Amino acid sequence: MLSINIFNGLVYGALLVVMSSGLALIYGLRRVVNFAHGSLYMLGAYLGYTVASHTNFWVAQVAVPLLMGLLGLALDRFAFRPLQDRDPLTVILVTFGLLLVLEDLVQTVWGKSNLSVPAPELLSASVDLFGMSVPAYRIAVIFFGLVVAGALTLWLRYSKMGLFVRAASTEPTITSMQGVNVDRLSGLVVAVGTALAGLAGIIAAPFLSLSPSMSSDVIIDSFVVVVTGGLGSLSGAFAAALLLGQVQAVGAVYLPEFATVLPYVLMMAVLLWRPAGFAGNRV
Amino acid sequence: MSRELTNGRIAGGVAVALAAGAVVALTVTSETVLSLLTQATIFAIFALGVGILLRQNGMVSFGHAAFYGLGGYVVAILLERQLMSAETALVTAFFGIALFAFLIGFVVVRVPGIAFGMLTLALGQMFYQVASRSRNLTGGADGINIPWPDTLFGLDISLLTRQDAMFYFAWSGLVLSIGIVAALMASRFGATTEAIRDNEERARFIGIQTLLPRVLIFTLSGTVTALAGLMSAFQTAFVSPESMHWSVSGTALMMVIIGGYRYLWGPALGAIVFFMSRDLVGDFAQHWLAIFGVALIVVIVFAPQGISGALARLFRRKAVVPQATPAVIHKLKERT
Repeated sequence: MLSINIFNGLVYGALLVVMSSGLALIYGLRRVVNFAHGSLYMLGAYLGYTVASHTNFWVAQVAVPLLMGLLGLALDRFAFRPLQDRDPLTVILVTFGLLLVLEDLVQTVWGKSNLSVPAPELLSASVDLFGMSVPAYRIAVIFFGLVVAGALTLWLRYSKMGLFVRAASTEPTITSMQGVNVDRLSGLVVAVGTALAGLAGIIAAPFLSLSPSMSSDVIIDSFVVVVTGGLGSLSGAFAAALLLGQVQAVGAVYLPEFATVLPYVLMMAVLLWRPAGFAGNRV
Repeated sequence: MSRELTNGRIAGGVAVALAAGAVVALTVTSETVLSLLTQATIFAIFALGVGILLRQNGMVSFGHAAFYGLGGYVVAILLERQLMSAETALVTAFFGIALFAFLIGFVVVRVPGIAFGMLTLALGQMFYQVASRSRNLTGGADGINIPWPDTLFGLDISLLTRQDAMFYFAWSGLVLSIGIVAALMASRFGATTEAIRDNEERARFIGIQTLLPRVLIFTLSGTVTALAGLMSAFQTAFVSPESMHWSVSGTALMMVIIGGYRYLWGPALGAIVFFMSRDLVGDFAQHWLAIFGVALIVVIVFAPQGISGALARLFRRKAVVPQATPAVIHKLKERT
């Protein structure tokens, strides 16, 4: 019972890694808390449903992040960039308005009933893992989470562009004085962040059902993750995502009545202890 | 500043608004319109609560629906279990929630700028989750019917629940709340909180204790919102988890922004505009939130002072409230 919960906690944690790394990246460069990130995730899941039902899951897993990346470019060009000198509350409220529009868009196009995307055939079986029978797809979710975390870490640590991103997230003005086009870089990072929201959506589609309420649960958990890990900190977000997955999973065994409340308690405790989160705000 | 907001002026404004409300209650005969007006007025009180926090503390709450829902739930639970009389229950709920807002205020107002928005969203959803899941206490997703007694404060309940009486009751609540808050904000306390909002560090340097005033503003904001919840409980005799959902907090916030929050009556105006225009769009009502989402973006980007700001400029009156200075913006950026 406990081990299957720990496993499921790991699966959900991996999904949160993909979700919250996008949120953290966008915050790192644009100092924007994207309230619409959950709606972008939902849009990704529904787009994935449509693409997958016409082709297959793997096409969707490539096409959806690409489409969402384009949307991210537009989002940066027409919202975050023109508003970068405005009060941060303004930008939060703009993303909140965007959330309302996206929620309505999804309900209008795909309806209010629950939809589901079947797991790809390759991963539809169950596998024996340490004596538990678990769906292969869930193992793949953990793998996707690892790939995203690994790829982002390598990109930020070892590529020249990654270096620019790290520089711009700490000192945007000085970085642009050194000849880096911070606006274009931010556009790219917002595109990557939005693509990650879409990717999280299509990853979640086969194991969480698609419904208009799917966005609010995940966005709140992602907020808990990025606040706990330190706004804008990628490694902090990875650690906090895995921690949150485990807190919920283990909480469901030992404190079933409080399981849904535990993440919020965690968030409050961390904010009181270290208001900047446990990793501060470095990428 | 050309026009001081004195207590005399406030009392005059309150008297005029109360009389105007009486005229509406006496002349409007349609039950539907009155019921809609009552709803709008209740939400206007809610928006006033959210607006105070933004105006005096510069903080955006995405979780105030918790206070709104709590108003209904505390009364409903006290009455359903027959723990006390309805009169005592109303008073207990009001002061109990005020105390709760005060205590939780000490925790949440310490959290800076953007994280405050995220924290309040999470806390609000926590209440929503608890209300929808603990079936024994709150009736779960079904909500609770509130068993109001036959008489309240010596008056017959059928008299109080008439639509015109209900409207006037809510309207008086709104007008008196605005009056009391306006008087508070015109006092030394109001000036202190504005100083803290604009630059907390400097306020501390000149010897102002900065935490307590911010907690008190949060308390005031939560208490006014709870009053809206109590009125709604009275109007509908029902409370459900939906009243605590984040979208309710978001709706109230939209009213605040669209109405404009520099004037205390701005959020209330936003609420009334929200309800009236939702009624007007008719067929598009299902896309209502998206329409308001677009309106929110347009207002915040192009007219951050909202409708009340635009009206005030139209009548060429000088703002009574100091504008959000560059210092506020600078501070918000610094805190993130």
